[in-house]
Amino acid sequence: MKTLIANGKIPLATHYNDDRSAKWSVKDKLLLGLSLSEYLAQAFRNPLNWFFAVIFSFGGYVTITRFIFGLGYVTHSSYDYPWGLFLGFGLFVMVPLSASGFMLGTAVEVFGRDDFKPIERLALLNGLLGYLFAVIFLQVDLGQPWRLIYPMFVSLGPAAVLFLVAWHVATYLTVQVAELVPAFAEMMGMPKLKTFIKSMILGLTIAGIILSTLHQGALGALFTYAPYKVHPLWMSAPFQWFHYFCSSVFAGLSMLIVVSTICKKTMAWRCDDNFLTSLDRLTIGLAKGATLALITYLVIKIIAIAHDGDWGYLASGWGQWYMLEMIAGVILPMILFTISIRNNLPGLARFAALIAVLGIALNRLNTALFTFNWKLYQEIPHWRELVITITVYCLFIATYRFVLYRLPILYTWKKDEEAAS
Amino acid sequence: MEQIQKYLYGAVLVSLLCFSPLQNFAVAGDGPDEVEIDSLAQLYEPVYFDHAMHEEVTDSNCAVCHHHTLGTQIEDENCMRCHAESGATDEIACQECHSSNRFEAEDLARIDADKTLYHRDKVGLKAAYHIRCMNCHEEMGAANGCQDCHSRTDAGNKFFHAGNYAPPESDKPAGGGH
Amino acid sequence: MKAMNRRKFLKGSLLGGAAASVISKRKNADASSSFGGYPDAMGVLVDLTRCIGCRSCEAACNKEQGLPAPAQSFDDLSVLDHERRTSEGAYTVVNRYEIPGKDHPLFRKIQCNHCNEPACLTSCFVNAYTKTPEGAVIYDATVCVGCRTCMIACPFYVPAYSYSSVLNPVVQKCIFCYDTRLKFGRPPACVEACPREVLTFGKRKDLIKIGNQRIQNHPDLYEDHIYGEKEVGGTSWMYLSSAPFDQVGFDTDLGTQPILSYVKEFLTVVPMVLTIWPALFAGFHLLATRKDKQKKEEKSEI
Repeated sequence: MKTLIANGKIPLATHYNDDRSAKWSVKDKLLLGLSLSEYLAQAFRNPLNWFFAVIFSFGGYVTITRFIFGLGYVTHSSYDYPWGLFLGFGLFVMVPLSASGFMLGTAVEVFGRDDFKPIERLALLNGLLGYLFAVIFLQVDLGQPWRLIYPMFVSLGPAAVLFLVAWHVATYLTVQVAELVPAFAEMMGMPKLKTFIKSMILGLTIAGIILSTLHQGALGALFTYAPYKVHPLWMSAPFQWFHYFCSSVFAGLSMLIVVSTICKKTMAWRCDDNFLTSLDRLTIGLAKGATLALITYLVIKIIAIAHDGDWGYLASGWGQWYMLEMIAGVILPMILFTISIRNNLPGLARFAALIAVLGIALNRLNTALFTFNWKLYQEIPHWRELVITITVYCLFIATYRFVLYRLPILYTWKKDEEAAS
Repeated sequence: MEQIQKYLYGAVLVSLLCFSPLQNFAVAGDGPDEVEIDSLAQLYEPVYFDHAMHEEVTDSNCAVCHHHTLGTQIEDENCMRCHAESGATDEIACQECHSSNRFEAEDLARIDADKTLYHRDKVGLKAAYHIRCMNCHEEMGAANGCQDCHSRTDAGNKFFHAGNYAPPESDKPAGGGH
Repeated sequence: MKAMNRRKFLKGSLLGGAAASVISKRKNADASSSFGGYPDAMGVLVDLTRCIGCRSCEAACNKEQGLPAPAQSFDDLSVLDHERRTSEGAYTVVNRYEIPGKDHPLFRKIQCNHCNEPACLTSCFVNAYTKTPEGAVIYDATVCVGCRTCMIACPFYVPAYSYSSVLNPVVQKCIFCYDTRLKFGRPPACVEACPREVLTFGKRKDLIKIGNQRIQNHPDLYEDHIYGEKEVGGTSWMYLSSAPFDQVGFDTDLGTQPILSYVKEFLTVVPMVLTIWPALFAGFHLLATRKDKQKKEEKSEI
């Protein structure tokens, strides 16, 4: 794409083509205003696509075998570890990293922080796709994925935490789709649709806050079903939901910093000046929010240990692992964020955000896989399970990129008058 | 093998031979010589219990197996509290006291209805045999495996997936998982 | 037209969300009352001092439940050399435990303990589990989605999953022979098969009395504890042992609270968030945007 722009191509951001002679068709919009051969040529030049080609051809095959030969073929069929990487990574890691949508929605729509507007849509998209792929991971993991709607309509178990997760993720997905409809409406030229959604955006955002608070917390509360299986340092019945909710705040913000950095580095052509120039300032702003959440999180983690009387465990091997997670995944990014804010170093904030993202991933994997069944043996996932997880995650990245290239997320859709000038 | 098979006791014959009004006070030697036990007839061939031989082994102390029911002096302090002088009973055969329909609804209802019943936790006939016989065999170092006393019927082999019904050697454990 | 569909779709889903919140609130009220088990629930008292590890119960279970043929005969005692757990092919298994300082090993049969307040039941989001008044915890495979949260939740590691099945994988566990026996007042197949009455079948409340009596009559034989009387809110299957319970594979760290009580802390948060958040954040919004509005008004006045 860079090559094309260097040759004078302007990325599609209007309804009308360059000389205003005709409207872009949907096909043009999908092909970024390029001809099919130009589009394919630029796609073949991108090494990431070759990487994806390898992953999807092999991983796609393995993924298909899961549906042909069953879960038993691609996992170790463990009765003791019923949840493996699909949920441990796909659900428990993806969902907190997707909390950015409701965080930025709240900041912009509820608190009126219009200065965050340039990155709001990216936050919403990050949320939407994260949830969507969490559901896709769930579909890979469920024994009978075609029964996904059973908890909604066929047989309801409303006292279960997972019931709440199911309903809230489904509802929240809808809310996020609605929140992103304006971007779609702009591109497709449907102003009425955009106005309609805009009229209820405050309601949607508040619904998003409620749903997010509850299901982020609910994912933590799922482990309160196994108070004797998860190691006490990672499991505190009264605090678990709050740990998960609070950590999702900085996880979502950090993920947003990471994603926006990747966008800036790899698809600057698609970002408009507004986004590019404000990104450093926004990064520091997001870092401030993440730091506050990190401090809160650290405090309540310590309170939980004090409340449950788990100090003794800190001296054990598990305790050292726990302290490693806390120091490397929470305290270190907290310090780095603070330094970056004080000295206005967005680069350092980006590095800190990456560490925080990895830290939260470690925390979720620790709860769901590593310290789960700490009194038993450690399950090592089957290689096919790992391959499928990587494949679905690559599909996530590919979809992400596909949408970012097209919808006005990183750039502003030019109004017809502007385009004309 | 055959001799071993004659070890265990048959409730049916015990009751036929022992339970008569004349035998209010039975003594050692009055018992049957051999008892055929066929209460597990579905899975096992009947067991022929050599009663006479066991009288010898126990030095004719009936209480070893028959508690206080033959009027023999008992030693268990807990039993002594009531049965120190209760004398011989009308019913001696195992199955007279140890029910053969243990845990079936009517048996549980019978216990439930009898509020004055003390022995509410009395094992059924099958357990009475096995606990009595096996604990003693264990102590005496006698043969104690299932098929030392019972030879299995075809149905029994099927039930245990043994003999002609044994799984092929190469079979891997059914199902996955740990 | 497109917009219209979208609108309907949106409304529907919002309504759905509201309905869900109402339902979850109502159920919370249910969850907060303590249950403690059905009064006439049946149970089984397992007396480890009587078990000789003959595996007759395993054979009986296999036949009664129509499970696949075992890999080894049920009279093959070499399987006892390794600790086993329940699986999709075996709803009950017997394990052997060498007890330090004792000549004889102890054997312990495991199966679903049929909790008074089952964790599997409370964790199931399609309500596939039912605790029947007879005491059994049964499972409806026709609604199971296969999320396997019940397997996460079970403190006894009992439910297994037929991973090998592609089209109809289901949770597999002991159901107390509910369909074929318990419903008709009959003891489960394993109880009937046990040669030494290791398994005593009866009303749960009677079994506790019986267990206490055995302990009282033979204090030197038994540990002074009925495992399952109080563990995780009480179970229908309970155990007596002559060795400390942690030496025969029991998790002695399980408290007396049902698993649900650990989850309640979160469930009480749900209605609060649902009711307080909208007002709270709408308020924040008004506060945060008031200045902007004032500015606009001032401008328009000028």
